[in-house]
Amino acid sequence: MSTADSCSAAGVSVEIDDVQSGALRPRPVPYEGKFVFLRVDDRHAGRALLRRLLPVTSGGLPSVDRSQDAWVAVAFTYEGLRALGVPQESLDSFPRAFREGMAARAELIGDVGENAPAHWEAPFGTGEVHIALSALSSDAAQLDKELERARVALEDTPGVQVIWQQDVRQLPTGRTTFGFRDGISHPNIEGVGLPGSNPQEVPIKTGEFILGYPDETGNLPPMPSPEVLGRNGTYVAVRKIHTNVAAWRRYLRANSSSAEEEALLAAKMVGRWPSGAPLELSPEHDDPELAADPHRINSFLYRENDDRGFRCPAGSHIRRTNPRDATIIGDARMHRLIRRGTTYGPPLPEGVLEDDGADRGLVGVFIGAHLERQFEFIKAEWVNDGNFIGYPGEKDPVAGHHDGTGSVTIPEKPVRRRLRNLPSFVVTRGGEYCFLPGLRALRWLAELED
Amino acid sequence: MRGSASAVRIEIVRAMAPHVGALGDPRTDLWQENLAMTATPGATQPAYPEHPGRTDGVCNEFTVFTKIKPGEADALREDLAALADAADDERVHAAVRQIGTLHDARHVIFDNDTRFMFASVFDGSWDTYIDDFAKTVVGARFDQVFSHSEGFPGVSDPGVKDWFLAHQEPAGVFVSAYPDLTVQQIFKDQRVDKAFQEVLDTAEFRAALDNPANAELVATPAFQKLLGEAAA
Repeated sequence: MSTADSCSAAGVSVEIDDVQSGALRPRPVPYEGKFVFLRVDDRHAGRALLRRLLPVTSGGLPSVDRSQDAWVAVAFTYEGLRALGVPQESLDSFPRAFREGMAARAELIGDVGENAPAHWEAPFGTGEVHIALSALSSDAAQLDKELERARVALEDTPGVQVIWQQDVRQLPTGRTTFGFRDGISHPNIEGVGLPGSNPQEVPIKTGEFILGYPDETGNLPPMPSPEVLGRNGTYVAVRKIHTNVAAWRRYLRANSSSAEEEALLAAKMVGRWPSGAPLELSPEHDDPELAADPHRINSFLYRENDDRGFRCPAGSHIRRTNPRDATIIGDARMHRLIRRGTTYGPPLPEGVLEDDGADRGLVGVFIGAHLERQFEFIKAEWVNDGNFIGYPGEKDPVAGHHDGTGSVTIPEKPVRRRLRNLPSFVVTRGGEYCFLPGLRALRWLAELED
Repeated sequence: MRGSASAVRIEIVRAMAPHVGALGDPRTDLWQENLAMTATPGATQPAYPEHPGRTDGVCNEFTVFTKIKPGEADALREDLAALADAADDERVHAAVRQIGTLHDARHVIFDNDTRFMFASVFDGSWDTYIDDFAKTVVGARFDQVFSHSEGFPGVSDPGVKDWFLAHQEPAGVFVSAYPDLTVQQIFKDQRVDKAFQEVLDTAEFRAALDNPANAELVATPAFQKLLGEAAA
């Protein structure tokens, strides 16, 4: 699609105040947060809880008032909608991937072996996760206040059980457990009024991220019925990913001969330096000053200056998962996601190369209007295979499951470097597909009768 | 429809393995051996295994049979002729390169101009990139060609995948001569071989081989393998 086509529908009117804040809004920095899974044993109780959660749930864009800077998002699995008594006709109108759930799609998205649902942390994949709540705030006191309101709503509602909780927070370093700043990229979405993080990105059609508006194909995304339920909703893939930080550090150490080389190798695999400065703009060394500039940190494309990946390898994590304008099979705009990674667990102390047994990693949240075309496609085609960039069989060096047999190609002159026997640095601990409805739809769910 | 379609499928399978025809009798040992090779264990599986179509290694076959709208066979023939226009050859192949996963494709009008077959071989499953497909330069050509088929909703219609799946007939046998090679890998292999042959044509390369300073490299098994390919 030409640039002109992409812009021609500018001025699309989005009912932004009906879209849950949790869907579109970049997460705060720094942040503290909590994910809570609920099981609905009684549909009337479930609806009563939703009525109490409604005032806690906000829509629209971030508040300018920092004291209001917290949000609670309420999402539902297919089983959850069923438990709430959503009519079968409506349940049947949801897309197949959502109806089946992430566990049933495990093989397709590469959650096999030690990542298979059989090894997931309960209650992931059991069908018992009905409602997923998330709360994030830049302010711990504000988060506590919001959580307290949610807790009071829950305590008044027997018939709904808390079955899983996960605290997340930004580490003091401001980086993930692997030691890299994340949460940098956010798509430029037409009509939403939030700037995208890359000033060079042509706005993406609203319907790629919110139901009820045309998407990049020119059609409305498949939407559940009735319209009040689907409109202004979106889908969320939630995943708990354990990170094997010691294995990551050991692999880097074993495959380099100096601290500088080690840092460069890590950056080549990620695509960014620890500060977040992209290799594309700073190929030789980290550049914290560049990373601190929100106008520059994400302002780059691949094709013109780095088509073959001498700066940022085509196989690196950030280039695979968001190829921008890079030469690839297919059209990158058809597979864009809102990503919201959050960190859990204690950091592995600096310099430690042996695993301490602690559980650490990230709770990843992947938001978009098309589970199959976005999350599942990216996982199956871009993370788990390299054909689209001309390296068939090579996986994402950071996010792929390698099982000790992976390889990664790093373009270099005169001869490319190819690392072999890559171990897995991440393990899937579980995941769920959720529907994140608009606020009117939440009210509709809360007021279901029978 | 299914009865005659399976008869057509045999022709497709034969067309995919021209070496069998060259041997004169399709029931040779080679053919029997190929019958067992309908899938390669351990190869990358297509992302959407629930959809029909056989795989061999990294490749997947895709064949659809449609009914031509009454009276439109000639119009379809003209569209196909335009598509095959030699003057347009470069653009067509550029388009196929843009798709990046298509090994080959054929369009066939049969049954006295009443029916139409499209058959192709892709890396991974056909529908993995179908959403992107409408946006490639061949998307519009595809749209034009299939517009002569009854019920075709249009290549960018949300229901187009379902329409294709409803008209798809999986092959009885599907076999590839190079089950481990994707289109991208084949392109790469072509580039590497061309560059390698150019090196062999230089006098400097021959001199470097004879130079005692390079003896250690030349003696390595990896380099000897390369020389094995250079020998003929």
